[in-house]
Amino acid sequence: MRKKLAVASAIAGLWIAAAPAWAHHAFSAEFDAQKPVKLKGTVVKVEFINPHSWIHMDVKDADGKVTRWMVEGGSPNALFRRGVNKDALPQGTEISVDGYQAKDGSNRANGRDITFADGKKLFVGGSNPDEQPNAK
Amino acid sequence: MSGKAIVLAIVILAGSLAAQTKSAPGKYTAPRTADGQPDLQGVWTNVTITPLERPANLAGKEFFTPSEALQYEKDTVDRNNADRRDGGAQADLSRAYNDAWYDRGTKVVETLRTSLVIDPRDGKIPRKGQQPGGPPAGFGRPPEGPEDRSLPERCILWPTAGPPMMPSFYNNNYQIVQGPGYVVILVEMIHDARVIPLDGPRDVRPHVDSKIREWMGDSRGHWEGNTLVVETTNFNDKTRFQRSGPDMHLVERFTRTAPDTITYEFTVDDPSAFSRPWTAQIPMKRTEGPIIEYACNEGNYAMSGILAGARADEKKAAGK
Repeated sequence: MRKKLAVASAIAGLWIAAAPAWAHHAFSAEFDAQKPVKLKGTVVKVEFINPHSWIHMDVKDADGKVTRWMVEGGSPNALFRRGVNKDALPQGTEISVDGYQAKDGSNRANGRDITFADGKKLFVGGSNPDEQPNAK
Repeated sequence: MSGKAIVLAIVILAGSLAAQTKSAPGKYTAPRTADGQPDLQGVWTNVTITPLERPANLAGKEFFTPSEALQYEKDTVDRNNADRRDGGAQADLSRAYNDAWYDRGTKVVETLRTSLVIDPRDGKIPRKGQQPGGPPAGFGRPPEGPEDRSLPERCILWPTAGPPMMPSFYNNNYQIVQGPGYVVILVEMIHDARVIPLDGPRDVRPHVDSKIREWMGDSRGHWEGNTLVVETTNFNDKTRFQRSGPDMHLVERFTRTAPDTITYEFTVDDPSAFSRPWTAQIPMKRTEGPIIEYACNEGNYAMSGILAGARADEKKAAGK
C-alpha cells in the first residue's frame, strides 16, 4: 500500500512538474532520449500546421543515399507572429538539425536546434529569439 | 477644521483617488454597435507574465512599484528563456522549448498588481483543503489510445481556453463578434467558438437542464450598463478549472475601459473546491489580427507518433 501511494504521488508529481514544460504535447512520449540525431540536408517542404509545424528534409549520407526526414517545429501561429513564414525556409535551403529520433524508429525527429548554413539559428533551446536574425 | 486636519483630509482624498485610478476603470465609454450594444468587437490578447496567484516572495505586496515591475519582467523573461541543457538527455528532450516556441509575453499587467487574483486581497485562491483529482486517467501508463492522453493533445480543449479565459504559453488571442442577441468569442488556441446568447429584459433564457454538461459550460450573457456579464454553469467533470467541480458557477465581466483595453474579470464560486468565491482581473489588449485558423486534428501527427512510441516501448520491453 505504501509503495502504491509512493508511486501514485511520484506520478502526480511528474504530472504537475511536467505540465508547465509542455507545449501542445509531451516530446518525451513521442521521441527517444536515447536516440539523439544530427541531420544535415535540404528543405523539401514545410507544413505550417497546428498544433506544430513540420519541416520535411532530404538527408544525404556518405554514400550519397538520400533519406527523407520529418522534423517537428514550433506552433505556426507563434512562428508567423515572429515573422517566420514560408519565405524563411524555402525549398532547397540547407539546414542542420539537432534533435531526438522518434521512439518507433521512423525518420522523424524534434527540431531541438535548427541551424542555417551561415550559422544562424531558427529554433534553439536557450538563446534569446530576439537575437535570431532569421526569426524576425 | 484645523490646518493639520485639512492637510490630512487632502492626503486621504488623494490616496483614495490614487487607489481608484489603480483599481477602477476611468470614464471611458465604449462606442456602440449598430444595434446599440457597447462595442467589444475586435481581436484581443490577454498575454501577461503576471501570475494568477501571488508568489510567496511577494506576500503582502499587492502592487509593484514601476522599478520593481521592470526588474520582475527582466527576471521572468531571463528565466523563461534560459538554456536548459543541464539535466541529461531525457530532461533535454522534455525541455526542448524556448521562446522560439512560446509567445507568453514580457510584461506585467498595467495595474502593476502582483497577481491576477484581486479578491481575496492576499492574491491566493482560497482552496478548500486537498482536492480529489490529480493526473488525468491513464497518465503514467503507456497510452492504449488517444483517450489516455490529455485534452490538449487530443485537440479537444486547451486548459486556459475557458471559461474563464487565462493567459497561457502561446496563442493568447481572442476575437469577439457581436450580433443582435449574441456575443461570440473565438479562442485561437485549438479552435473554440463560445456562442453566448444574450438575455433581454423580456427575453430570459434559462440554462439547459443540469443533466446536460458541456466542455465550456452553458453561458448566458446580459448587459449591465457598459459591462457584458456572462454567467456560466453546467461544466463537465473533465475540465476542472483550478480543481473546481462540475457545479462551478462562473461570472465573467467584460468592460471596455479604453479604446485598446477590455478589463476582463471573473468570479469563481464552487463551495466543493473553494472556501469562498474568488475574483481575478486580466486586461485584454487590442492586438493585430487576424486570428489564425487552428485546424488541430488535421495536423496532429504527434498523436500517432505518441501512440507509435508507446507500442515501440512495449516491443522493446517484451524483447528484454
